[in-house]
Order: sequence, then C-alpha cells, then structure tokens
Amino acid sequence: MTYRGWIIGGAFSLVTSILLSATALAFGDVGRGKAVYEKHCQYCHGRDGAGDGPAAGFLNPPPRDFTLGTYKWKTTPFDEMTPSDDDFVRMINGWASHNAVPGWDGLNDTSMPGWSDVIGDNDIKAVIAYLKNLSGLEAPVKPPIDMKAKVAPSKESIERGKKIFADVCSECHGDEGRGDGRKKLKDDWGARTWPRDLTKPWTFRAGSAPVDIYARVTVGIPGTQMPSFADPQSKKALSDEARWDVANYAASLVAPYKKPGEGTVIKAVKVEGALPDAPGAQWNRAAFESFYLAPQMIEGERLFTPTLNSVSVKALFNDTEIAFLVEWDDPTESVPGDESVMALSAGEVFLDKAAIEFPASLGRADERPYFGMGSDARPVDIWLWQNDGAVRSIRARGTASVEDGPDKVRAKGAYEKGAWRVVFKGALKREWKDGASEGIFVPVAFGLWDGSNGDKGAKHTMTGWNYFALNEGGGVSPYIWAIGAVVVVFILELLWFRGARRGRDR
Amino acid sequence: MRIPKLAQFIIIVAVLYALLKAPGVFLGKPIPESLIFMYMVLVVATVLLVMTSTDESAEELFSPIRALVQDPKKAFARNIVFVIAPLVAGYIAYGLSSKGMEPPAELRSIHPAPLSKMAAYGKRFDMATLENPLRATETEDKEIFNAYVAEGAGIYFKNCFFCHGGKLDGRGHYAHALTPRPLPFKGRDTIAQLSESYVFWRVVKGGPGLPSEGGPADSSMPAWEDKLTEEEVWKVVLFLYDFTGNRPRERAREGK
Ligand code: HEC
Ligand code: HEC
Ligand code: HEC
Repeated sequence: MTYRGWIIGGAFSLVTSILLSATALAFGDVGRGKAVYEKHCQYCHGRDGAGDGPAAGFLNPPPRDFTLGTYKWKTTPFDEMTPSDDDFVRMINGWASHNAVPGWDGLNDTSMPGWSDVIGDNDIKAVIAYLKNLSGLEAPVKPPIDMKAKVAPSKESIERGKKIFADVCSECHGDEGRGDGRKKLKDDWGARTWPRDLTKPWTFRAGSAPVDIYARVTVGIPGTQMPSFADPQSKKALSDEARWDVANYAASLVAPYKKPGEGTVIKAVKVEGALPDAPGAQWNRAAFESFYLAPQMIEGERLFTPTLNSVSVKALFNDTEIAFLVEWDDPTESVPGDESVMALSAGEVFLDKAAIEFPASLGRADERPYFGMGSDARPVDIWLWQNDGAVRSIRARGTASVEDGPDKVRAKGAYEKGAWRVVFKGALKREWKDGASEGIFVPVAFGLWDGSNGDKGAKHTMTGWNYFALNEGGGVSPYIWAIGAVVVVFILELLWFRGARRGRDR
Repeated sequence: MRIPKLAQFIIIVAVLYALLKAPGVFLGKPIPESLIFMYMVLVVATVLLVMTSTDESAEELFSPIRALVQDPKKAFARNIVFVIAPLVAGYIAYGLSSKGMEPPAELRSIHPAPLSKMAAYGKRFDMATLENPLRATETEDKEIFNAYVAEGAGIYFKNCFFCHGGKLDGRGHYAHALTPRPLPFKGRDTIAQLSESYVFWRVVKGGPGLPSEGGPADSSMPAWEDKLTEEEVWKVVLFLYDFTGNRPRERAREGK
C-alpha cells in the first residue's frame, strides 16, 4: 500500500469509528440500558416495562407503562407522540432545581426519584434507548415547541390569564386553583387522577416556572385528561399569547405560607377577651405554620394513595383557652350519601375529619408518648372534628385503647373552594397555663381524613410530633434589642476612647 | 514569622467554632445552637485564661487593641472599628432576640445498642449469636441466594420504599414528612456498620422497639413482626445488602 493509501485508510477507519461510537452514544446502547433498567427501574415499572412491578399496586400516580409509548412530561407538540431526548433526560433525572423539597429530586410528589446521582450520563442514554425500544418509538419528527416567545408576567397579563383560567381551567383545577374540580378524572391507564393543586407549585412534577406551565398548557399532559390548548381542533384552543397569560396567572396562584419549613413551631398569640369561633380578621395576628403529611402506613389498615399533602395551622390563646385554626386543601367535601359527592369519589364516601393530638401530660422530651396514639404508660389526648358536626375529646393509650377524654372541645369547620378551615377551641391544660408565663413548648401532631378517598379509621394522613409555643411574656421587639445593643456598645467605645485620651494627655 | 497573640487568639477561636459547625454544614447533622453557644463560652474563657496567664502575654494580647485607641496614627482604622463594632453588636442582638424561643434540643442516637435478647415470632433470639440463616446460600448455592434476594426486593418494594426510597437512599416519597427521617441503606455510614442481626432487630421491632436514647416516641419506622414472617425479614435484609453492595459487619469485629 502506498503512503497515501495508509492515510486514506487510517482516516476512513478513524471517521467511521467516531461516527459509530457517536451514534451508539447518541441513541444509547440497548443492551446496557436493559441492565440498568433491571437493576434500578423494574421494581416499579415492571420486568417487561408494563408498569406492573411489585410497587405498582401501591402508587398513585402509578409507575409509567413503557409499552404504550405515552409520556406525560414532554415538550414536543401535542401531535407528536415521542418526547425529545432532552425530555427523556429530564423525566429520568428530574426537575430538581424547582422549589426544592427535602428528598424530592425527581418528579415531585411522586415515587419517581431523580437518577443522576446513581446513573452516569451514558447509562441514562442507554436506558432511554431501552425504554424507547419497549414501545418501538423512533426519533421524534417534530421538534420541541418554542418556549422563547415569552409574555412577561405583568399585572395585565395575569389579569387576562385570570379570565382565561375561569373559562378553561377551573372546571378541573377549581375556581381558586386548589384542584377541587367538578370532574371525576381517569388517566388512559385507568388510574384515578387529581388535577394539581396550583397553590402548591412545589408539588408540580415538571417545573413550576411560567415557562413550564406554558409547556403543559401547550402540549397537554398526554395520557391524562388535561388537554393541549394549542390544538386548533379543540373548542378550547387558545392563542399563543393567551397560553402565556394563563401560565402567568397559574404561576401567580402560589400560596407560599403552605410550604412547610424545617423544624417550625406554631407560635400561639395571646389575645385579650374571647377567642374566635370561626376564621376571620382576628386570626391575622398569628402566622400559619405548615407541615407535610405522610399517609399512615405503620399500623393496622394502611393508606398508600393519599390525596392530602400538607396542613397549615395557627393558634391564639387567652387566660383560659386556646384556639387552633387548621386549614388544608382537600379536592372534595365528603358528604356520605350526597349524589354529587358520590359522583366525584373513588369509592364509598366517608366523612372528612381532622384531629389534633397532645401528650396527656408533659414530661422531659425523651419521655413523651409515641406519636401514633400513645401507649399504656404514656397516653395522648386527641381533639377530633368530623364534617357531620360531631366533635370528640379522646384519651388514647395506643390504637387499641381509646376512651372519652377529659378535655372540653368545641370545633367548627367550613369548606370553601377546595379548602377546609376548622377552628378548634379547648381549655388550656393546667401544665400549659403554668408554663405559659415563661414560655413553654407543647408537642402537637395532626391527623386528617379525606372521606372521598376512602380515608377512614387508621387510613389517614398525619404529621409526627411538632411543637406549639405559648408565651405570655409581652416580649420586647427585636428592633429595640438591636438599637439598645448599638447604643450601649457605642457609649462604651466613647468612654474607652476618652479614658485613653486622658491617659495619653497626662 | 511569629503570629501576633491577638491573631492567634482569633484563629484558635475561629477554628474551634468551625469544628463545631462542621457536622451541620457537611453532614447535615447540626449541633444545636444552644450547645454551640455553651461550648464557645467555655472555649473563649479557657483560651483567654491560658493566654493571659503571665503579665507579658496578657500585655502582648491586648496591646494591639490599646494601640488602636491610643495611637493617633491609627485614627482611621479606629473610626472604622468604632462604627462596625456597634453594628455587629446590634445585628447579633437582633438575631438572638428575633429567634425567640428555641424548642428543646432533640439529640437522638441513630444506632443505639440493642437488647441482648429479643422476643418475637413466639421465640427468644439471642442477639449475641444470631445469624442470618439464609446467608450461607450466598456461597453454597448462588441460584437459591439470588431467588431470596429477588423475593427480598419484592418485599422491599411493597413495604419499605415509600419511606426509604426507590434508590435505598432514605429519600422516599414521604420521607420529607417524617421526623426523624428514614435512614439510607446506600453508602458507608449505614447498614454497612451493622451486623445482620442488628438490622433484623430494627425491622422486627421498628421505632417503638428502640431504647429511650433512640427516640422511640418519634420514629415512624414500623414494627414488622406481625406483617412479615421471620423468613421474609431475613430476605429483605439480604436484599438491602445485596442491592447497595454493602457487606454486613462481621461479628468477630463487633464489640472487640
Ligand atoms: C420507586 C418507584 C420507581 C422507580 C424505582 C422508577 N420509577 Fe420511573 N416512575 C415512577 C412513577 C410513580 C412514575 C409516574 C409519574 C407520573 O405519572 O407523573 C414514573 C414515571 C417515569 C417516566 C415517565 C415520565 C413521563 O413524562 O411520563 C419515566 C421515563 C421513568 N419513570 C423512568 C424511570 C427509569 C429510567 C427508572 C430507573 C432508572 C425508573 N423510572 C425507576 C416510579 C418509579
Ligand atoms: C380536563 C381537566 C383539566 C383541565 C381542563 C386542565 N387541567 Fe391541568 N391538570 C389536570 C390533571 C388531571 C393534572 C394532573 C396530571 C397528572 O399529574 O397526571 C393537571 C396538571 C396540571 C399542572 C401541573 C403540571 C406539573 O408539572 O405537575 C398544571 C400547571 C396545570 N395542570 C395547569 C393547567 C392550566 C393552566 C389549565 C388551563 C389552561 C389546565 N391545567 C386545564 C387536568 C386538567
Ligand atoms: C413509614 C415509614 C417507614 C417504612 C414504611 C419503613 N421504614 Fe424503616 N425506618 C423509618 C425511619 C423513620 C427510620 C429511622 C428511625 C429509626 O431508626 O427508627 C427507619 C429505620 C430503619 C432501619 C434502621 C437503619 C439503621 O441504619 O439503623 C432499618 C434497617 C429499616 N428502617 C428497615 C426497613 C424495612 C426493611 C422496611 C420495610 C419492610 C422499612 N424499614 C419500612 C421509616 C420507615
């Protein structure tokens, strides 16, 4: 072979090997993808990708069935079934950057974690190739929608969006966006779906910025009843500008106080005179603290598919009584026997309920009762409200031993546009009252039931022990302390300076 | 070059403060502020005592401060310090008073010592000698072992992943709603430090079975003794180790 032949041959094999490895990387290696899948994905998504792993029966939303090729969180247009490769990467690695909630790094408020910390980029590509293979998806024909033509979230845009929302979104998402629609929805796989509560954007799966919502409105959420509003065939089609407006409005629905913080304490505020029986202006003096809810999956009948995910609480007290305002979003007002409620419900309808739990008596922190209804040695007191108006005071020594409690409790609830607000009132327990003069922390936990979701008895959502604080000491404002410190230090400096100068002058 | 006494003082105090803060910043396990405050008072007092033990060293420590006020050449530096110091004091006072009351510190031992005997499944287990009866298959019959692990996976993904996570990293769908958080199995500072009998005890007796230093009132870890059979628990234990690539701690090393 000539010198030239060597060069040509070498260049040829170099180029082909680069091309080959590039395509292998770009489309991923199906065999390798299968190995990754069997290690990490099969227990939810099923051995053959049919969405039927051992975990599947316990999840809502259920894990995706990959044999159908329908994907929810994509940005290719409504008439293009296949997500883009970037979409796949985001679905698998998650939208971790939005509205962080500790531990959620994938599709928020689902069991689908984000995988970038365990699976390298090339293996992600390989597993994408494997998933596509399961339903025979090729590369998408149409490119992702254009997400640049942004309408700024100005007052005017939000105002326009509000009207559009009332026209086309509120039938599912509710008048105020709390997910209390008037429609019973099922997805293509037969699972019950709940329209998102738009006041809690940290629960959005695929980002909560206006641009993300714009993508959802434009593309729709395939496999669910949330349609594309860009489909000219649809009676509800919206112009591009209108879709930005409604996205801006939806993003403006966020209610930041509902997002729980870490280690928050409910600070009860002292008032003179009677405590309010209902929500109203008097409560403005106290601030809401919010807590995430977990389904009860510890004892007895377990709940795996909750509909409630957080609760917000504030408290007022006077010399003899304490009142709690407990507020939570619930997609349905559950009235057993009511036709319209039955039509929305997943099965038999039970009552909505709320409970507040306290230790029956306070001890050291390491002596408090078990948060799951106490124990023989360390009982708890529970204040229980039901939406048929019944109110109970309970003393529990474990789940098996429940009797009437010593506390006199009154409670009243009202359901409005997807939110329950219940006011509980009861006497200050002796120990609380005694501690209140110096400030006292009382452990408190909450339990909630959504009767339309089949919540009943041990099946409910709950928090662990948190605290509420009682403090009567009419404390001095922090600003006063700050100014005081500045003045004192400055005076000390002057004295010192003068002393030093005198010393030097002498 | 000799480091001036005052700088030494500042460096020592800063380093110790950083050490106290480090667990919170790097491991996500902060030492409660109130404890840090107490330690720091002790630290400052001790260092001051040592550094002012002789007259010369006290003089050396304080002379730069005195010079700041007395030396006319340092007027500019002095003015700056005189403005900054009250502002810092005001800021600290604001921080301390607006925090209001802090709830009682909760210190919890994550891996408390188990009891020596455990009663469950109608018998008594001696924790000192208890072994995973299925472990032997790992060397004797890999096929049976793999079948056990697969069953363990099924049990895990029907009962545990809601809390402990699909990645076994302690970050399941509902982990953020639980205090204390579910523990991870992946990584070094986990079941890798424990023997299989310890893990068996934790699964069988759950949170309520913890001794008081483990915080039994708060742990949401269920007791599985009436939901899983003895063999199922051993299978899920096999799975936890196999999936994460961790090895159980050998008894020979434990407690010696
Ligand atoms: C612990 C259970 C669990 C595991 C393990 C799991 N998933 Fe998921 N996955 C889910 C759930 C639940 C959903 C449905 C989310 C939804 O409907 O919004 C989902 C959805 C998806 C989707 C579809 C997103 C869309 O836009 O429709 C993809 C893709 C996906 N998972 C890939 C994977 C891959 C790849 C792995 C393994 C590396 C994996 N999953 C492991 C639970 C899991
Ligand atoms: C036919 C009922 C329906 C209509 C109409 C509807 N949605 Fe939805 N929407 C849903 C359902 C159901 C979901 C939850 C889907 C899921 O998670 O599987 C949802 C989810 C969402 C989400 C959450 C996306 C995420 O990342 O989690 C947003 C935002 C949203 N909708 C906005 C809108 C807006 C804005 C409109 C009006 C332009 C609208 N929706 C109209 C049913 C509807
Ligand atoms: C309701 C949530 C929840 C469920 C379900 C759950 N756990 Fe836990 N688990 C926890 C929490 C919280 C802790 C940490 C507190 C503690 O140590 O008790 C924990 C701790 C543990 C520990 C101790 C780890 C260590 O490093 O000491 C083991 C082992 C364990 N769980 C195994 C399991 C197994 C196996 C299952 C399923 C059969 C399971 N858990 C189900 C919440 C849960």
